[in-house]
Amino acid sequence: MKMTGIIFSNIYDDTLGELTANRTVASLPFGGRYRQIDFTLSNMVNSGIRNIGVVTKYNYQSLMDHLGSCQEWDLNNKNGGLYILPPFASGRSEVYRGKLEALHTAMNFLKSQNTDYVVLSDTITICNIDYREIVKTHIDSGRDITVIATKPLNYTDDNLLVIECDKNFAATDIIINYPAKNGSLTGMGMFIMDREMLIKEVEEAVAQGYYHFEKDFLQRHFNMGNLSVNVYEFKGKVLRNKNIAAFFNNNLKLLDEETRNDIFKTDSPIYTKIRDEIPTYYGETSKVSECLIADGCSIKGEIEESILFRDIKIKKGAKIKKSIIMQGANIGENVYIENAILDKDVTVTDGTRLIGAPESPVIIKKGEIV
Amino acid sequence: MLERHKECIAMLLAGGQGSRLLVLTEKTAKPAVPFGGKYRIIDFPLSNCVNSEIDTVGILTQYQPLELNDYIGNGQPWGLNRNYGGAHVLPPYQTSGKNEWYKGTANAIYQNISFVEGYNPEHVIILSGDHIYKMDYNKMLKFHKDNGAECTIAVRDVPIEEASRFGIMNTNPDGSIYQFEEKPKKPKSNHASMGVYIFKWDVLKEYLIADEADKTSDNDFGKNVIPALLRDGRKLFAYTFAGYWKDVGTILSLWEANMDILDGNFALKDKHFKIYARNYAQPSSYIADCSEIKDSFVAEGCSVKGKVTHSIISTGCVIEENVEINDSVIMPGAVVKEGSVIKYSMIGEDVTVEQNCRIGDNPEYYDKSEWGISVIGKNETVEKNSTVKPNTVI
Repeated sequence: MKMTGIIFSNIYDDTLGELTANRTVASLPFGGRYRQIDFTLSNMVNSGIRNIGVVTKYNYQSLMDHLGSCQEWDLNNKNGGLYILPPFASGRSEVYRGKLEALHTAMNFLKSQNTDYVVLSDTITICNIDYREIVKTHIDSGRDITVIATKPLNYTDDNLLVIECDKNFAATDIIINYPAKNGSLTGMGMFIMDREMLIKEVEEAVAQGYYHFEKDFLQRHFNMGNLSVNVYEFKGKVLRNKNIAAFFNNNLKLLDEETRNDIFKTDSPIYTKIRDEIPTYYGETSKVSECLIADGCSIKGEIEESILFRDIKIKKGAKIKKSIIMQGANIGENVYIENAILDKDVTVTDGTRLIGAPESPVIIKKGEIV
Repeated sequence: MLERHKECIAMLLAGGQGSRLLVLTEKTAKPAVPFGGKYRIIDFPLSNCVNSEIDTVGILTQYQPLELNDYIGNGQPWGLNRNYGGAHVLPPYQTSGKNEWYKGTANAIYQNISFVEGYNPEHVIILSGDHIYKMDYNKMLKFHKDNGAECTIAVRDVPIEEASRFGIMNTNPDGSIYQFEEKPKKPKSNHASMGVYIFKWDVLKEYLIADEADKTSDNDFGKNVIPALLRDGRKLFAYTFAGYWKDVGTILSLWEANMDILDGNFALKDKHFKIYARNYAQPSSYIADCSEIKDSFVAEGCSVKGKVTHSIISTGCVIEENVEINDSVIMPGAVVKEGSVIKYSMIGEDVTVEQNCRIGDNPEYYDKSEWGISVIGKNETVEKNSTVKPNTVI
């Protein structure tokens, strides 16, 4: 049961606004010291997947910086490793519009593999998942494709993929961009398929001008009755960062011990790039409650219910509440910050007040001085 | 044809048992002892090498080498995974007709002459794995070359009243050494040796061979090799290093060096002179509502719910509710359960302190002769409600 991984690094770029103005969704910082792709990559590596292709579109400089030689994920070896698949990777491809076309970019890579199955994943899904048991259920089901799904958070928001299934986990209905009904599941942006079948289906669909994986392939073929769909319900914690509000709230959800312990497990760790920062210093005047704090910070102010990334300075008298502060921020004296997302390397000068709302946090762009 | 060679390679003596560190080195070689929240002692000389553009390091191991071998691996965390050069762990090995341990510091290098020759270096820097300091060896190498020295010894100036505790280099006004005195009763100078030597390799090789042939020798750099060079009137120079340096050979000095980071005597943070360490994938630290952390360092992967003052909490520790920790070092992976109080102590790696224990105490309540740092050795469990007095080692 050898598997190849395909990661879509740019899908959902346009829903995360300023946060993805200069980076891919994959390289968006999350959870204190990670980039979103760390979760996707670590899950694949921890499931024994040794060959992974990352399909990119644009803005992939930060992603390539982050991945480097991939040694942190143990993917810098001769037998396998990580392959970055930019647009125009193969002669006929172009900048893709959807996952089907993105897969077409990855055609040469997919054809060169000697694996049986392909695991497809986007990078907005934060969870700790073992694909080995899922591929087993995929094989046992004998169906064409497995959709990995979870219980929806609510029954009011639109979900890209809503799926209903019978007691044998065969899909009975596939709905796109619509609220989930009671009892139905929502897709996690993860699929498992037979490699050769995937190649054939992608080539055919793209030849016919289709590009949207869920709509043009999954739903269309399912409705026509020529695709059998298996559903795997993942029972662990799932955080889907599909827009800015979700990204903000999901970061804060890591403060919940149960969620944190479900996502950060010692036997299947989440790997990330190492920065060799020193431990964080808490000064005499520091007051920290309900926070996740990474390395290399120096804290002299007060912080509540927040996520601090690496190498952040917080001066005396500063107060931070319910905020996400990314790497390298410099927070001056007597600053007040509430419901904010500070992108990397932001400087907040003495006495500044930044206040947002939970559903629309204030966002300070990378490198800005406010 | 240009011959491939290195200008200077490092040989790092990491075989020491460090018996004065008691339980901390029972199962661990001294250089692998945790320090400063996320480091091990050996990270300092290794990072110094990398920051000094020395990319070839032979690491001589002997005592409890497994953990150290594992830790160093291919040298990648320090950027020492090179095609030509890099980190090499060198345990003693058997050759035809010979089968012996490293008898002394000089013998350890002697037994690895062929390793050094493989890089055909002009100079070799000898380092030890039990000192905490940040030093640019390149500056010392330049000094060594500018003086045309055959051996340069790094020294630091200690208060003259303490000089009798150290190996003292007596120097001429030009910095050349005319005498070496080990722990002199009446010190003539205050230049204490740091145990960092740069030799011209051809000179060192000659003396190592002669030293090995001398059956009465202890095969030690300080005792035998340096005095032999001085006897023969070789060109030895003292290079004064003014930065922070600490020999962490005892429980008290190891604890003090940790406290020096907190007290600002030793600055770890420097973007251009980073100390590298092998990292294990740990999430950020969770700091709870009921915690209170003052004047302390907390590394990654911790969960802190108690009160921590003037202490170092290392990677992956759990500090539960109503715990009080002051002036202590909690080493990686330790768990301190509810209601326990830890003062002036060092808690070893992966130790579990059960509920309501009391470990160590502040010095002011004790007679000087009774008080000391308490230490719990690696993997130990301290049972519920126990009291561990100051100056106790478990």
